[in-house]
Amino acid sequence: MQALRRTLLPFVGFAVVIGLWWVAATSVGGRNLPSPVAVFDAGWTGLRATDGLLVDIRLSVLRVLIGVVVGCALSLPLGFLLAWFPTLRAMFDPIVNFCRALPPIALSPLVIIYFGIGEDARLFVLIWAAFFASVVVLYEGITAVDDIYVRAGRALGASEFEIFRRVIVPATVPQMFVAVRVALGVSWATLVAAELIAAQRGLGWTIQRSASFFRTEEVYAGIILIGISALLMDLVVRIAQRRAVSWQERVVR
Amino acid sequence: MNARISFDDVRVGFGAGKKRKEVIDGVSFDLEGGEFVSVLGPSGCGKSTLLNMAAGFLKTDSGEVRFDGEPITRPESRRGVVFQQYAIFPWLTVEKNIAFGLTLKSNRRSRSEIDETVRRYIDLMGLGGFEKALPKELSGGMRQRVALARAYATDPDVLLLDEPFAALDAQTREFMQELLHEASQAERRATLLITHSVEEAIYLSHRIVVLGNRPTTVHEVIDVDVPWPRTPQSRLQPEFLEVRGHLEGVMRSLSGSTLRKAQS
Repeated sequence: MQALRRTLLPFVGFAVVIGLWWVAATSVGGRNLPSPVAVFDAGWTGLRATDGLLVDIRLSVLRVLIGVVVGCALSLPLGFLLAWFPTLRAMFDPIVNFCRALPPIALSPLVIIYFGIGEDARLFVLIWAAFFASVVVLYEGITAVDDIYVRAGRALGASEFEIFRRVIVPATVPQMFVAVRVALGVSWATLVAAELIAAQRGLGWTIQRSASFFRTEEVYAGIILIGISALLMDLVVRIAQRRAVSWQERVVR
Repeated sequence: MNARISFDDVRVGFGAGKKRKEVIDGVSFDLEGGEFVSVLGPSGCGKSTLLNMAAGFLKTDSGEVRFDGEPITRPESRRGVVFQQYAIFPWLTVEKNIAFGLTLKSNRRSRSEIDETVRRYIDLMGLGGFEKALPKELSGGMRQRVALARAYATDPDVLLLDEPFAALDAQTREFMQELLHEASQAERRATLLITHSVEEAIYLSHRIVVLGNRPTTVHEVIDVDVPWPRTPQSRLQPEFLEVRGHLEGVMRSLSGSTLRKAQS
């Protein structure tokens, strides 16, 4: 019963919002606020069209994937270095935080100067965004590893390297997943903005183009598809996380 | 003399010059081979600090802690440690936790030796059937049994126990004391137990070092004459009750004086 409620309630939530939207759309009407049915139709048509929305979805998902994979992979060694050496951390922590606080899109004029408006430019911005989002989460997680495990490892005869590889690294795995999820969120936000500026296909590009033709139902469909894609990617990471860190104690609520 | 661990006029303090305040002010005692010694003292008296120095986690300000005559400079597996917090690795199963020390470079054993050792301590600690369990599936008492098994497994010369049962409920505590007593009877390793429980100290020890505090010094050292091996009935023997009465009085006056000093 409890489990059934937990799986059903989110759907009820969606139904309520869509219902309100429908009511609003039928009472206001017109092109500015298309009804859910019109949006669904537009989305469905776009998805079935050859060279349609599916191509854009694939392109956007691929861009985010490359950004997150490369960005997080690069952040791993830096995260461990900053966590392990307090001097390095004291030196570079402010710069890393500065780069993280900088909205990646603010870089795009420079990126266009250096990389042009091709795929390279977009990927650079995405990798940048994922990297700085991930690195902070990582090293804060690593420095928060309970010292008791390090002591226990040392008392059992572990060398510095063994402490790192057999205590710090496994203890940090949960934090790595958090880092990936944060990077995913930031990457989607950045991707859409990047595609709005200099675009050759992609979900951000479709909503921009549909808006310029005043096809609001297509804009809505595009936005919803972006949401669904981001949500699904997050879900995949969460499932992987649950498998990989099944040893973690969950706080029961 | 065959002291395994010796505390020699150990001092620890904070601050410098005139403002310097001694926290531990000249503590000396020995732990000999095969001996079980408890360090008993009111909370906040620096008992755990002494253990951390014996383990090699902390340095003394002056005086020395020695292991087999050598000054202790760093942790090593010849001195096993069990902590009050459950310090078993949550990402490893029970058997992998116990085997951890034996898979490290400094103490590496063959696969069959590891299996044999793990088996032996799983049996000694009554963990049979939980080999593949993760720590999150275990009760507090079982986690500490895993921690004890893990400490025993690397075959340490000395075992250092830092209030290992303080976080457990009263019933589990008593059970764990009996289990530890049986294990130490079987293993006969020199063991140093930090505790604030009078009952626990008497039940397990050959000798009890009572610490007084502010600053911390050795208040007295008591030889426990309760016959070996000890059983639950030992807790009712006149020797046991006599030491207990004495120590409870001492503890009361020590914590009373702490309170008065804290208030003044």
